[in-house]
Amino acid sequence: MATGEEELDVGQAKKEDEFGSLLRLSPKSKSNAEFITSLRANFADHSGVQDVHVNGDGEVKKPSYKAWTKKTGDMLEIPAIDFTNSALQEEREQYDITVKLFYLPGASIEKRATETREAIQLVLKELHIPSIDLLIVSFPGIYFDEQEDCPDKLSTRGPVEADPEPLESLLEAWKTIEQLHDEGIVLKLGIAEFGKERLEALLDKARVPPAVDQINLRDCCSVPKDLMALAKSKKVELLVHNDCSNVLPRGTVRELLGQGPDGAGVLAEPSKAGDKRKSLHGEEQTNGRSHDCLVGDVQPQWVVKYTAVVRNRGVIENKGYFAAAELTD
Amino acid sequence: MGLLAVGTPLDWPEAKKVADHVREWGIEQLLAIWNRAKGKERDALLWGDEIEYLVVSFDDEKREVKLSLRQADILEALANDAELLKQGGGVPDLAVGEAKSARSAPTFHPEFGRFMLEATPGRPWGIGFKDLLDVEQDMKWRRQIAKDHIFAYEYPVTLTTFPMLGDRKSITPFYEPSGPKLRSQFVPDEIANPHIRFPTLAANIRWRRGRKVELNVPVFHDENTSKPWKDPTVNYDLHNWPEDDDVRNGAAKDDHIYMDAMAFGMGSCCLQITFQATNIAEGRKMYDQLSPLGPILLALTAATPIYKGFLADTDVRWNQISAAVDDRTPEELGEKPLKHDRWRIPKSRYASNSTYISQDPRLRPEYLDPDLVVDEKLKARLVEGGMDDILATHFAHLFIRDPIVVFAEDLKELDLSKTDHFENLQSTNWQHMRFKPPPPGNDIGWRVEVRPMEIQITDFENAAFSVFVVLITRAILSFDLNFYIPIPRTTENMETAHKRDAVLDDKFYFRKDPLPRRSGRTNGTASPRSRPNTPQPSRPHTPGPVEDEYELMTVDEIINGKPASGFPGLIPLVESYLDSVNVDVETRCELAQYLALIRGRANGELWTAAKWIRHFVREHEEYKKDSVVTDGMAFDLVKAAERITVNEGRDGFAREMLGRR
Repeated sequence: MATGEEELDVGQAKKEDEFGSLLRLSPKSKSNAEFITSLRANFADHSGVQDVHVNGDGEVKKPSYKAWTKKTGDMLEIPAIDFTNSALQEEREQYDITVKLFYLPGASIEKRATETREAIQLVLKELHIPSIDLLIVSFPGIYFDEQEDCPDKLSTRGPVEADPEPLESLLEAWKTIEQLHDEGIVLKLGIAEFGKERLEALLDKARVPPAVDQINLRDCCSVPKDLMALAKSKKVELLVHNDCSNVLPRGTVRELLGQGPDGAGVLAEPSKAGDKRKSLHGEEQTNGRSHDCLVGDVQPQWVVKYTAVVRNRGVIENKGYFAAAELTD
Repeated sequence: MGLLAVGTPLDWPEAKKVADHVREWGIEQLLAIWNRAKGKERDALLWGDEIEYLVVSFDDEKREVKLSLRQADILEALANDAELLKQGGGVPDLAVGEAKSARSAPTFHPEFGRFMLEATPGRPWGIGFKDLLDVEQDMKWRRQIAKDHIFAYEYPVTLTTFPMLGDRKSITPFYEPSGPKLRSQFVPDEIANPHIRFPTLAANIRWRRGRKVELNVPVFHDENTSKPWKDPTVNYDLHNWPEDDDVRNGAAKDDHIYMDAMAFGMGSCCLQITFQATNIAEGRKMYDQLSPLGPILLALTAATPIYKGFLADTDVRWNQISAAVDDRTPEELGEKPLKHDRWRIPKSRYASNSTYISQDPRLRPEYLDPDLVVDEKLKARLVEGGMDDILATHFAHLFIRDPIVVFAEDLKELDLSKTDHFENLQSTNWQHMRFKPPPPGNDIGWRVEVRPMEIQITDFENAAFSVFVVLITRAILSFDLNFYIPIPRTTENMETAHKRDAVLDDKFYFRKDPLPRRSGRTNGTASPRSRPNTPQPSRPHTPGPVEDEYELMTVDEIINGKPASGFPGLIPLVESYLDSVNVDVETRCELAQYLALIRGRANGELWTAAKWIRHFVREHEEYKKDSVVTDGMAFDLVKAAERITVNEGRDGFAREMLGRR
């Protein structure tokens, strides 16, 4: 807190959590629900929130976050990450490992280069592997289908939370992942939701061209012909995804980490304007509800999703997420 | 169905004497396979489908359709097609010339009925998603090749059964019924493949049973159908064979369509899928997990509403095949006290399976069949030979049957590098799932065959169901799904699937929660649960009563989900799987069409073939609301099937069944 800024590794969600929650959802539910629900479940598992008892006053008593998180430098792991038992069952060559990195709306663009490496390193460490097959990066506010005639599609897309970035900033991020490609850490590069114009521009400027453009079809199964033609001619594979554009909204992080009934009890309740109870120093003096917890504004930075599929069997052996947010006073 | 070695088949009394001998050798061969292949690992997912056709012959002028008994000629033509052989196709069993090619043409196989063809892809499919799109094209190619090798007025239709089979006239060339092998009053011996194995199979089943097989299908009572209804085609005055007494002894039941030969069952066309598992453990898991899906797949593919020229009150073929090869004696059936036979046997050789075989800790003993009949002596030998108890139980259950077709030449010497005696029993146990050990002499792994589905009229539908089953297996393995229910419930579900419109109107026992229990172990650290002084989690680890684990659900709920109770549905599970793997746009959109077909069949937006055919008959101008399917109606119906096969609904015809395409 000394710097007034802290990075929160807001969590990890893994296959066993995720499928359990994802599959209980109706097909119409939002496509980040699986991720959010599994984050919540993982927090609950580690924090013991599920086991708390409501005391006589009807107040929920949560254990201190310090018991189940880990602080290294200015980074707080929620929960503490242990990489010992997460290796893949078979040799690296048996797998097709795809990683998707979501740069979230409102996150700082300047830090992307460092954060990209951080995110990839977490995945490599988690799976005990030296490289991944495909890295797809997803930029906020970009949708391939803006001009498309598919009303259903636009209505299911959800609110647009960010304006698309200028090409220069996309290209800047691309340089970082080209670097990872040069180093042999990432074998193929991809982007998500690029329409024809953007894809063309990227193909034009990129030193390592994208091998994949991942698009969300939302039941329409109508791909703009010019995008299809461009992808074919430049050997860019058009893959399907079903992720929503902002997988981790700010309010959700607050709720997940907050003091509510399903929260992990890490973050203090946000202060209302003119709220006199708000402390100016670090930990909050609460109205008797919680003990130590973090205070400040939380800003989600990135989410990384990884999937390891056994190549010749089509079986998903491992899947999970890491997410990061920043806390500022 | 491959043709086994040719030799001198034993008549039943002789075969019966050597039954123990064949079984013992079969068990020794099984142990040899077991010891050779139990450690086989890392086999890829390979899979194949089998399509079976009826070859029909049209006479447009007379408005007649007949079954063509030219299987042998057609296979001969296919086997001698130099171009096909060059591409790896042909008829492996006839083995004319060398088959070599980069491109793998489909292969054709003889089947029990002399009016049937079976075709399989030239090479097995993988899990490359582009492979999944090749399936339909390959099925279309197969049908085209078949069509190219038959007469212009013939057509290979994929109806499960020929509506007029057994009318004593609709076969070409014509043969008189009442031959020495089948002794059927409706169909001639020539209805069966002439390869000695098939007539022997039919004759020895009849001989062992002590009378003809007996198929009674409930008739569909329409407005003008008499009640009680007596099958008007039954001849009570035939005196060619002792078995002609069967009908005088009450074999034909009131209100039922009566049939009396193996051809009425084994002449049905099915859609079967076989998977190779990565190792024996995965194979055993797939066998168990797919088993409860069998009756659901049967109801979804229902396509059999007509027998012998009458509308039936059932929608599927399954029980008819079961009765058509039921070799049980009156003692085994429980009609007489046990005196000569070893035990009473609750099911035909062709029936839903009765065993689970996985060493999965989720398999509770309560799921197993309490009435399972097992040959304890053979089981003890398997266990002594190193096989675990649950798998030994499975095979010792299959081996309660007698070998039906035994060739004298094969009994001279036990060859442990062969599997003929094992396969003799294994391949005449026609259960809805089959667990197949690796064959000797090549690199094929442990396989699981899914057998309940009815053939569909179009290649589009057959591809859709094949691909759906493949995707379900991937979802089962990826998500570690659990579909276990007590196996007697699956047997009951199989009966339910027969009812008219069961797919919409009936409910099936199904597991409420197929999702894995959250492990609590996340990221390797000891979870709070295992720490002392932490309260125990609210969800109990000891399982509750088995009866609480399952409930009755509609096919729609099973396939599309039941949001109220949180049951996800098989299609959403498959979609979740597809969302988690890299699938290209074109493939995903094609797969979406397949899933839409199955979703529509389950929720009633699309009709099953059974419903469509029944509707077609009832709307036909010749129909007198008396359950009778006339020759003219049969002609129009089979013509309609051809039209549907060719156009797949794109001309608007049969849109009720196929949707807008």
